[in-house]
Amino acid sequence: MADTPLVQMRGITKRFGGVTALQNVDLSAYAGEVLAIVGDNGAGKSTLIKVLTGVYQPTEGDIYIDGEKTEFSNHADAAKAGIDAVYQTLALADHLDPAANMFLGNELTKKVFGITVLDNKKMRSETERVLMERLGVRLKSLDAPTDSLSGGQRQAVAIARAVYHEGLRVLVMDEPTAALGPQETARTLKLIKALKAQGLAVILISHSLDDVFEVADRVHVQRRGQCVGVALTAESSTQEVLGMIVGAKEDAA
Amino acid sequence: MNTAVDTDYKPPLSERLEPYMAVIAPLAMIIAIFLFMAVASPDRFYRISNLELILQDAALYMPMAMAMTFVITQRGIDLSVGSVAVLSAIIMAFLVKQYGFSIYVGIPIALTIGALLGLINGLVITRFNVPDLIGTLAMDLVYKGLALLLAKGLVLARFPDILTEMGRGQTPFFIPTPAVIGILTMVAGYYILQRTHFGRYTVAIGSSPESAELTGIGVKRHKVYAYVLCGACAALAGLMLTGKQNAIQATMAPFFNLHVIAAVVVGGTSLFGGRASIIGSFSGVLLLAMMLNALVTLRIEFFWQPVASGFVIISSVALYAWIQKKDRDGAGGWFADLKTSEGQKLVRFSALLIGTLIALLAIGGVFAGDIAPSG
Repeated sequence: MADTPLVQMRGITKRFGGVTALQNVDLSAYAGEVLAIVGDNGAGKSTLIKVLTGVYQPTEGDIYIDGEKTEFSNHADAAKAGIDAVYQTLALADHLDPAANMFLGNELTKKVFGITVLDNKKMRSETERVLMERLGVRLKSLDAPTDSLSGGQRQAVAIARAVYHEGLRVLVMDEPTAALGPQETARTLKLIKALKAQGLAVILISHSLDDVFEVADRVHVQRRGQCVGVALTAESSTQEVLGMIVGAKEDAA
Repeated sequence: MNTAVDTDYKPPLSERLEPYMAVIAPLAMIIAIFLFMAVASPDRFYRISNLELILQDAALYMPMAMAMTFVITQRGIDLSVGSVAVLSAIIMAFLVKQYGFSIYVGIPIALTIGALLGLINGLVITRFNVPDLIGTLAMDLVYKGLALLLAKGLVLARFPDILTEMGRGQTPFFIPTPAVIGILTMVAGYYILQRTHFGRYTVAIGSSPESAELTGIGVKRHKVYAYVLCGACAALAGLMLTGKQNAIQATMAPFFNLHVIAAVVVGGTSLFGGRASIIGSFSGVLLLAMMLNALVTLRIEFFWQPVASGFVIISSVALYAWIQKKDRDGAGGWFADLKTSEGQKLVRFSALLIGTLIALLAIGGVFAGDIAPSG
C-alpha cells in the first residue's frame, strides 16, 4: 500500500439546514484496496459518498487527491479527477443493448460523408473488449436489450461503463449486491477483486458484512453521522464490526 | 463477434418471436385484409389504381408517424399534429396566394413554422412542466383557433404544380410521389433512430428518464427536439394534404392525431416508452390505410371508420400488453380472474349498469307518447 492515500477526506461536515448528516468524518482510500463503508440506515454512508463524488459539497472539510487539496463543484468535476460511482439502480436504460448502455452519454462516433454518426460497430467491439479484459465477463449476446441480462451481468455493464474511462482511479459502489442472489453476488465480488487487482481504489457500501469481510481490506464504520472506527478485516471479525455499527462498545463503556 | 452462442437454452417460440412482433403483427393483419378482400371484393380492391390510392393515403401519414414514433418512445405524446399541419399549410397558402410569395420559399417557410410550433409544444412541456397529454391538447386548440382566425372559413385553392406533385403526383414507376416522400422520411427516421445521438437518447429517455439523467443526457433538450421533429413533419403532411386536395381549409385533417398515434402503436412502439419501431410504424400506416380503403371498397358507411380505427388500436395495444406479460401475474387468461371475488363484484356492477339502461329504455318505450319532430 502506498504511503499517500489516493483520496482522502478530512474533517468532512455536512449540514442540511439544522440537520447534521456528517460530522467531522475522515476517510482515506489507497490504490489497490477495497474500503467498505458500513453503518445503519441514516448513519451518513450515502451522504459521505455523495460528497466524495461531488454530488454534494461539504459544509466543512476538504478532499485531497494524491495529497493535493481539491474541490468538486459537481459530479463532472469528480469524474474528471477519476472518481466515479456505480449506483444501486445501475442507471441503465433497459431497452438498449449493453454496448449502447456502456457508452450512453459518451457515444463513439465516426464521419460518414462529413456527417457525424454513431459508430455502433466500434462501440460493440469495445464493450466486448472491456468486459472481457477488465472484468472477465463474456455476454452471450450483445444484441439483446439489457433487461434480458441477469443482475450480475447488468452490474458488469454498469461497472464496465465506469472503468472504460482511462482516468478512473476511485470507484464507489453503492450496495452492489443488495438485489442479487448468492451466485450473482459471488460473481460481483469477483469483479470487485479484479478491479482491486488492477490498482483501483474501490469504495464499497454494503449492508452485508459477509460480503464486506470477503472482499474488503478495511472497514469504515459510520454511526449517527460520525466515523466510529476503521477496522482491518484481517484483524477484526463480523462480531466486532457489528458491535461498532450498533454502538455496543460505547454503551458498555 | 458473438461466437459464444449458448445452445442448451432455447426460449419458447413466443419469446423468440417477440422482438419481431412489431413487424409480424401488422403484417399479419395486412395479409388478413388482402385475403379477406380477395374473397369479398377482389375486382375493385386489386385494381392498380386502388393500390396506388392506398399508397397515396398512407403517404400522408408517414412523416407524422415517423416523428410520432420518437415522441412516443420518449414517453410523450403529441395531440397537436393535425392543427400544426393545417396552420402551417394555411400560413403558406396565404403567403403564396395573397402576398405573392414563391412556392419555393413558401414550402420551407411552412416546414419552419411547423418546427417552431413543435418547439412551442416542447417548451410548454419541459419548461412549464405541463404533462404532454394536456400540453399538446391545449396547444391543439390554440393552433386550430389561429387557423380558423386566419382563414375565416375561406378555402384557398389552386396552387403551383410542385405542391400538387407533392400531394398526388405520379412517378414514372408504380409509386406515387407522396409515397416516395413518405418512404424517404421513414428511411431518414430509421437512420436517425439507429445512428444519431438523438435517436439513441430517445430510447434511453423512454427506457428510464432517471438513468438518462444520471448519465448526463440532456433529457429536456432531447424531448424538445422530438416535438420539433414532430411539428416539422406535421407541416410536411400539411403541405402534402394541401397538394392532394389542391386546396386548404382550416377544418381539414380532423382525424390526423388519433390516426397517427394508432399507426405508431399498432406498429409496436410502446406507449410506456423505450421501445421504438420505425418499420412497425410504417406497417401500421399501411395497415390503417388499407383498412379504411377496404371499408370504402366494401361500401360500408363512412361513419364506421372511427369505430374501426378505435377497434384496431385497442386490440393491438391489448395484444402487445399481453405479449409483454404486463398482465400475466399468474391470473391465467383475460377472463380467468372473473371468478375471484373482486372479479365477481365487477361483473355484478356491470350487470347492474346494463340492467338499469335496459330498464330505463323499457320504461321510456312503454310510456312513449306522440313523436314531436325535432325540425
